[in-house]
Amino acid sequence: MKDLLKALPWIGPAVALIAAVVLFPVGLMFWNSTRDISQSGLDDGGVGLANFATVVGFQYFWPILGRTVIWVVVVVGCTLLGSLALAALLNKAFPGRRLVRMAVIVPWAASVVMTTLVVHYGLEPYFGIINSFLVDVGLIDTPEGYGWTRHPGTAFAWAMAVAVFVSLPFTTYTILAGLQTVPGETVEAARIDGASGVRTYFSVVLPQLRGAVSVAVLINIINVFNSLPILRVMTGSIPGYDADTVMTMIFKYMQNQRQIDLASALSVIAFLVVIGIVAIYVRVVRPLEEV
Amino acid sequence: MAQYRRLGGILAIALATTTGLTACGFGGSTGEATGDGTTLDLLVPSYSDATQGLWDDVIAGFEEENPDIDVNLQVESWDNLESVIATKIQGGEAPDIYNGGPFAGFAEDELLYPVDEVISEETYADFQPTFLENAQVGGTTYGLPFIASARALFVNDALLEEAGAEVPATWDELLESAKKVSELGGGVAGYGMPLGSEEAQAEAAVWLWGGGGSFGDAEQITIDTPENLEGAEFIKTMIDEGATQADAGATDRSPLFDIFVQGKVGMQVGLPPSVGQIESDNPELEYSIHPIPTKDGEPFTLGVADHLMAFQNDGDKQEAITAFFDYFYSADVYVPWVQAEGFLPTTLSGSEQLADEEALAPFLDVLPDAQFYPTTNPDWNAADSAFKALFGQLDGNKSAKDVLAEIQTQVDEG
Repeated sequence: MKDLLKALPWIGPAVALIAAVVLFPVGLMFWNSTRDISQSGLDDGGVGLANFATVVGFQYFWPILGRTVIWVVVVVGCTLLGSLALAALLNKAFPGRRLVRMAVIVPWAASVVMTTLVVHYGLEPYFGIINSFLVDVGLIDTPEGYGWTRHPGTAFAWAMAVAVFVSLPFTTYTILAGLQTVPGETVEAARIDGASGVRTYFSVVLPQLRGAVSVAVLINIINVFNSLPILRVMTGSIPGYDADTVMTMIFKYMQNQRQIDLASALSVIAFLVVIGIVAIYVRVVRPLEEV
Repeated sequence: MAQYRRLGGILAIALATTTGLTACGFGGSTGEATGDGTTLDLLVPSYSDATQGLWDDVIAGFEEENPDIDVNLQVESWDNLESVIATKIQGGEAPDIYNGGPFAGFAEDELLYPVDEVISEETYADFQPTFLENAQVGGTTYGLPFIASARALFVNDALLEEAGAEVPATWDELLESAKKVSELGGGVAGYGMPLGSEEAQAEAAVWLWGGGGSFGDAEQITIDTPENLEGAEFIKTMIDEGATQADAGATDRSPLFDIFVQGKVGMQVGLPPSVGQIESDNPELEYSIHPIPTKDGEPFTLGVADHLMAFQNDGDKQEAITAFFDYFYSADVYVPWVQAEGFLPTTLSGSEQLADEEALAPFLDVLPDAQFYPTTNPDWNAADSAFKALFGQLDGNKSAKDVLAEIQTQVDEG
């Protein structure tokens, strides 16, 4: 107890900051989710769990949740495979490696909204360069191109591609950092024992990357689950709820329908889902344990 | 033990990242007053890149005449405007004067001054009566009509001539002409039909009301009606017979109008500012402006008026607000503002002053036939967002009846 008091001046600011920017918003979110809030933002009293019942009872709720799972699994999976390959490449010495390493950072440095808008405009019929290219090489036979972002399936697929693109740099660098810690002797020993390159990678290098990979996956899961801007831009003009994830649905409740109470309720659900996934992941994979 | 501390750390990370989305809010600074006069907070949307400058000029002129009143200007994009105002109200920091669309919700929550308490009688009498009626909730006017717009059919004369098509006045003629233009090929679309989320409610009004339907009144929102069904069915016919551009259901209005300006769309419904857009982007375009075709050829237009409204807050700024409104609506200040943004004035003196403007003439002509969204119905917000989210499904396998029923359901659930 005395120790705690002595430490307080040092940890006090940090604790206050966490309380102000993490605990308070979370508390407010939980509070709002049990209130009836009018469209102009006035609190009209408590309604218990009615907001949750409305949100879960919405006829598109389960498809949206399912789509969110697909979104997370596909994006994180593809990002991981791509990053493992890229990191292995960047770990080899070759002329111009420094430039390539810099180039990999670019999608990370650029604004996500900007990157997505570039692709979105490229996919526009009539003037998008991706559409123009596909028309010119004869893959699309309507002269104005195909409305990629006008159909739920194709728009969602392109959104996934963009999400993988912007997730690659961080994941690649995390794994690259992991690769640098793999001791050269272990690889050398495998060579001497006559293991092939593939065998060496899967049996010697990859197991030692466990820490780096599992941390990268964990952070990616949280990030991708909570990703809004890419889907917002790519699928924003599509009518109905056939391309929505939990995050875009929260946004629709909040921005379009101005139902802050329902948006909060869905946020709470999303929050619990993420906490659940993370808790399971931490138990099963133990990402922060030493190998 | 160490393991649990790590778990805690990870949960903290998760906590921090997951709350990012909902935690935004509680912003809003209300600058400090200089001197001991009154300070008015003004929250307005951005109509164009010029909006901020126009307001700055108005405020400079006003502050010169009223040295004891300071005006704080906050300009937001239309996309953010409604969440900003909701956040401010929730935080007890409502602006004194607000420029926005629907306001019935605020009136219902008793946040607004009835406008006759914050404006002089002469200024009040100068508004077009139809616009004032449209700004009433339960017989009391809560919004001052600010700027108006009307819709009309923009026709690409060159394309119609090439296709040998006539300018349509009825739906059947429109279908025929649009199909002829579409058959020109090369990516040309006969009729530009934007049912995407950007402004689906406007295209819906053009068709459903043009067939004799309506969205209801101040008491009740009625979407799923036989009259409305006719318009919705005809939209499906237009799409199915290839009279429109591809993917009408997810096409937004602004990008589609860009295509019209490029000369690839035969006909599309446009707004007064569309004239200026064509003028600056493609002055070569051969086009003309006509009344919107309806089922039986009766003229009609969709009128939209945005409003200025005054929040009561502590109730101590009534005089300052009155001074501001009277200054702003004087013809010398108001008309140049409206004109610079390319919209139509809502005052009688303003209309007189603009009567000789050639570009605005087609719109001023149809203004008397204007019908309005039922914005004074507190459920209109829900209807508006239901149209944005669901109306585009007409372009697809769902029947017109089902789409209207789904919109009605979402409105009724509020």
